[in-house]
Amino acid sequence: MGHLDHLYRVAVHLVKETQEAEDLVQEAYVRALGSYEQFSPGSNLKAWLTRILYNFFIDDYHQKRRWVSIEDGAAEKEASSYWERVPAENPGPENRLLLKELKSKISDALGKIPEEFRLPIVLVDMGDFSYLEAAAILSCPVGTVRSRLSRGRRLLHNQLKEYVATEEKKRAKQ
Amino acid sequence: MKCEDARELITALVDEELSGAERFSVEGHLKDCLRCRFVYEEEQALKREIGAAGFRLSASPELRSKILSDRRIFPGPERSSGSWTKRILPAWPFPRPALALALAVVLILPMLYFMRTPSEPISLAAVEIQRKIIGGEISVRKASNPDELRQWQVRAVNGEFAPMEYDLSSMNMLPAGGVVKEINGRKTLVTVYTGNGLTITCFTFLGTEEDAPKIASVFFDAEKKMKFYSFSKDGLNAVLHRERSIICILVSNISGDELLAMVRAKVQPS
Repeated sequence: MGHLDHLYRVAVHLVKETQEAEDLVQEAYVRALGSYEQFSPGSNLKAWLTRILYNFFIDDYHQKRRWVSIEDGAAEKEASSYWERVPAENPGPENRLLLKELKSKISDALGKIPEEFRLPIVLVDMGDFSYLEAAAILSCPVGTVRSRLSRGRRLLHNQLKEYVATEEKKRAKQ
Repeated sequence: MKCEDARELITALVDEELSGAERFSVEGHLKDCLRCRFVYEEEQALKREIGAAGFRLSASPELRSKILSDRRIFPGPERSSGSWTKRILPAWPFPRPALALALAVVLILPMLYFMRTPSEPISLAAVEIQRKIIGGEISVRKASNPDELRQWQVRAVNGEFAPMEYDLSSMNMLPAGGVVKEINGRKTLVTVYTGNGLTITCFTFLGTEEDAPKIASVFFDAEKKMKFYSFSKDGLNAVLHRERSIICILVSNISGDELLAMVRAKVQPS
């Protein structure tokens, strides 16, 4: 079960509850065993298992337990506004420190961006998959992975910035 | 190039998924555009932090236990009562029990591998990994950027330690790639240097000099006050040394004497 931690990470970002994520991983192993004859020895076992987990999620979980917090339209708008908000001149050291301060919030923030943008991030940045492998897992073109990653990271960045703004407001009230 | 057009290309550059004209084009734009350069640096930092956030998440021991005790994945022993098949088979997802058993073995074997008492010292296992890297059985992450590779490896061990680095440029050897392997339950950072038709692989992990194999010859460098352990396996030569709690093993197909001399020359006392 060398890829258990990896599958769990993907599952946690697919479904909201830890218990559901564990069930998803367990069922993915059952499915993997059931279709092991389809696995080509020497090919990427981690990608194969991830694809099984993702397909199972789509088949059995997706319709009833979709984890979306932002409308897609709003996501698009937010992704665009990020670009406009990037300072044109020297951004200053405080912006560079933002991510360092917020590292513990990344998983929470990821949960707040739409699934279609979240999954490429989870696969490429957490799973170390190439664009080609991520595209195979998600059954989409490589170009789609690239564009969703680009938008997804901007959305994530915005989520983290919003968290900082909220925290600053809270502090100001105190 | 307009900034708008650079958006996705910057993402692909961060992920080292760009080559040729696209790479050349966006790198040229970054030289001229402060704003896009900032976006690029921010995205690089974000990617690193997302990766680190991932490593902080791991499956619970309870989940491992649940999977190991799931009879659909690991069928239990046959009971004396002849009716067990009737009870199990309605829920049994596999039409061919023999195949399922074989598949279960495929899943069990890696588990047993990690649970077993290490029969082979980590140092000899490292030589075996080097043989597999040379033979193409283990693929490594390419190091188009050695710093990026190093950061990725450090992330993989939650920043506990970093790969030992060697400047082998005088031998025209540079880091060509790397991988993180778990050997006998210990995370090991593997960096492959290539050049001049030679390959030298550096294995870095937390350990003690007890990790040297019993067959190793020990050399004490009085000047550096360090011990070096030289050994060979299957035509490959290796030298192990310790810097504080970090062990480094260099494995190569160059001769044992040459490798030992090179390591002694490159290593600085801690």
